[in-house]
Amino acid sequence: MQEVKFVDLGKQYLSLRDEILACFDAISRRGAYILSEELDRFENRFADYCGTRFALGVASGSDALHLSLLALGIGPGDEVITVPNSFIATAWVIARTGARPVFVDVGDDMNIDPDLIEPAITEKTRAILPVHFTGRPVRMDVIEEISRARNLYIIEDAAQAVGARWRGRRTGSLGHCAGFSLHPLKNLHVHGDGGVITTDDPALYETLLKYRNHGLANRDECEFWGVNSRLDAIQAGIAEIKLKYLDEWNARYREIAAIYSERLADYVEVPRDRVEEEPTYHRYMIRQPDRDRLQSFLAENGIETKVNYPVPLHLHPAASQLGYKAGDFPVAERLAETILSLPLYPELEEQQIDYVTGKIVEYSKKHSLKAPLQAAGILS
Amino acid sequence: MKTQLPEIPHNFLPGQYADTNGLTINHNYLPQQFSGCRAIFARFEKLVQNADYTLGKSVDEFEDRIRMLTSSPYALGVGSGTDALSLSLKAAGIGPGDEVITTPYTFFATIGAIVTTGAMPVFADIGEDYNIDPEQIEKAVTSRTKAILPVHWAGLPCRMDAIMEISERRNLVVVEDACHAICANYKGKAAGTFGLTGCFSMHPLKNLNVWGDGGFVLTASREMHDKLALLRNHGLLNRNECAIWAGNSRLDTLQAIVANHLLGKIESITESRIANAARYDRQLSGIPQLRIPTRPENTRQVYHLYVIRAESRDALQQFLINRGIDAKVHYPIPMHLQPAAESFGYRRGYFPVCEAVCDSVLSLPVHEFITDEQINYVAAQIEEFYAGS
Repeated sequence: MQEVKFVDLGKQYLSLRDEILACFDAISRRGAYILSEELDRFENRFADYCGTRFALGVASGSDALHLSLLALGIGPGDEVITVPNSFIATAWVIARTGARPVFVDVGDDMNIDPDLIEPAITEKTRAILPVHFTGRPVRMDVIEEISRARNLYIIEDAAQAVGARWRGRRTGSLGHCAGFSLHPLKNLHVHGDGGVITTDDPALYETLLKYRNHGLANRDECEFWGVNSRLDAIQAGIAEIKLKYLDEWNARYREIAAIYSERLADYVEVPRDRVEEEPTYHRYMIRQPDRDRLQSFLAENGIETKVNYPVPLHLHPAASQLGYKAGDFPVAERLAETILSLPLYPELEEQQIDYVTGKIVEYSKKHSLKAPLQAAGILS
Repeated sequence: MKTQLPEIPHNFLPGQYADTNGLTINHNYLPQQFSGCRAIFARFEKLVQNADYTLGKSVDEFEDRIRMLTSSPYALGVGSGTDALSLSLKAAGIGPGDEVITTPYTFFATIGAIVTTGAMPVFADIGEDYNIDPEQIEKAVTSRTKAILPVHWAGLPCRMDAIMEISERRNLVVVEDACHAICANYKGKAAGTFGLTGCFSMHPLKNLNVWGDGGFVLTASREMHDKLALLRNHGLLNRNECAIWAGNSRLDTLQAIVANHLLGKIESITESRIANAARYDRQLSGIPQLRIPTRPENTRQVYHLYVIRAESRDALQQFLINRGIDAKVHYPIPMHLQPAAESFGYRRGYFPVCEAVCDSVLSLPVHEFITDEQINYVAAQIEEFYAGS
């Protein structure tokens, strides 16, 4: 039996060890740990990478979104439209501003269904917060139209999608502003919590620049009461090093995803790319009605998989006051029951890929499982 | 004429990993100074190999050691000292419509943390010890007051018996801003263990620091501990169940490694700061234009800052800077006179002690790597300044 871990961060570190240790060393020698030159450099490079005017390092991906909403003035009485199939932070970043998260269901691509947005808009709606789930960019054209017509902000939740492209444009440049996570499990990650905001809006940037640092105009003067949410110099230094390799890594993510899809498409539902998009495959999710038993079988065979996420946001105890119930978002709810994330990272070895796909095929054949849509000839 | 200058940075962080070598402190490392970092790097590498990044083992170890150090039943690592304060207030149920009484002589984060919850900061003037005056607290209490947020400024604990008495009598929560006060105590009890919670910063300039932002909260209340544990980690009860809409504010495991490394040295760091302060006191107490910090009985103050009050403060500061001494003002503008405080409706004159303090305070370098010779040198420059004026 082989062991295939869901993530293996140690391998990437070993390939960058000299660079990272030299960076730690340089920072420690100077003793400048807060809002340092490493952060300035990383922010400039990240903005260039995304094709935005500004990038701003903050303490986490959640803070990136939360502070953006606050800085745009979203608060009590407002509504923000988002999806129920995301990490919990997508909902609390809205709720903690005092605004109400309004969920709309997703489509077959697991991303917000643009056609369902318009009916969810009320006079209280201030923003749309689409999530590029699994690293697949949201189809932005309809959303952009709605945003223009209804005067709504688009705030991208790009936590899983650093480097993804939609019609040639990077995530982070597709809305008014975007929040990225640099959490250790992300395609571009640091060694702790971290996040980045991107935007083209100079006023928003200036506000956030102060807001993340106690609202300070200078050392002695506070322009408005702010918070403390900064990307540590050490983490910015690591992110700066890794950004150089991101495209290479993302290409490998896509390569492995293509191998998975080719080998598994007859047995489980696999993700499908559109011509207009270049996803990052932060998560590679198959769909299988028999998910739980498949997951146990893989675990018994040393293959670690995850469900991201088994409970949709509207069904968490924290969401009880929003008044949603089971059945409100049938696609998202069905996804929660059937999705399974397979191990996928650039360091995955060929034999591990063979082993993972081999075991899924073996299980599917044993139980005569077929991908329903493919089997019915609906999808080729 | 300018004398030959030893350069004395105010808070020279790399020195923490260094033995200072004579009077000259500069940015070069000696080989043995570098070896301290190597030990930390080895632990970093182990962390990376294990991918134990989020609330990992070193955070548990840190929390255990902090509990022992402070004799506090619970400790939780969080993202910053600021977050320690705002999460404490949120966990205590403080929010819109509530008032929180605090000092106008503090760092911005104290006020930011209150405003973040939606509550209103209400200021009470300080005493000559730079800390909130319990008698002024009493006067500021209204029907909307929910909490008192005393700040142990510079590492001197507030008069906690008086504050706790008010809190009990008026049924008010106490959240201690102990960001300057690790290892300080009041009548033998650790600063940060009197109130419902005690909030600490491990910002790089603090007595106990990490290599970035970090903080922690102490509490004796199981209920507060459980709420804070939710508030720092997305409100998650477990991987798949979210109990409340919360936030993300965790002490990075990587930073906990740094903190654990330095926790072994915190007593000696504290003792050397106290000794440095005592030397300053002796050297400076004869200068009539100065007032040295007060030394209340039954109190261990840990001198995160050594703050004197000085006549012609601005000129003295410039004089010292010209002599290579990194003298700083913490802080020249009180909180109630900040642009951000405009909507609170305070004016100059409302808090006369605080305002006079802000106009006259000067912080002298007091960290653990300042040598006796350097302190003598600083004192000599101050004497020279006043002799010439």
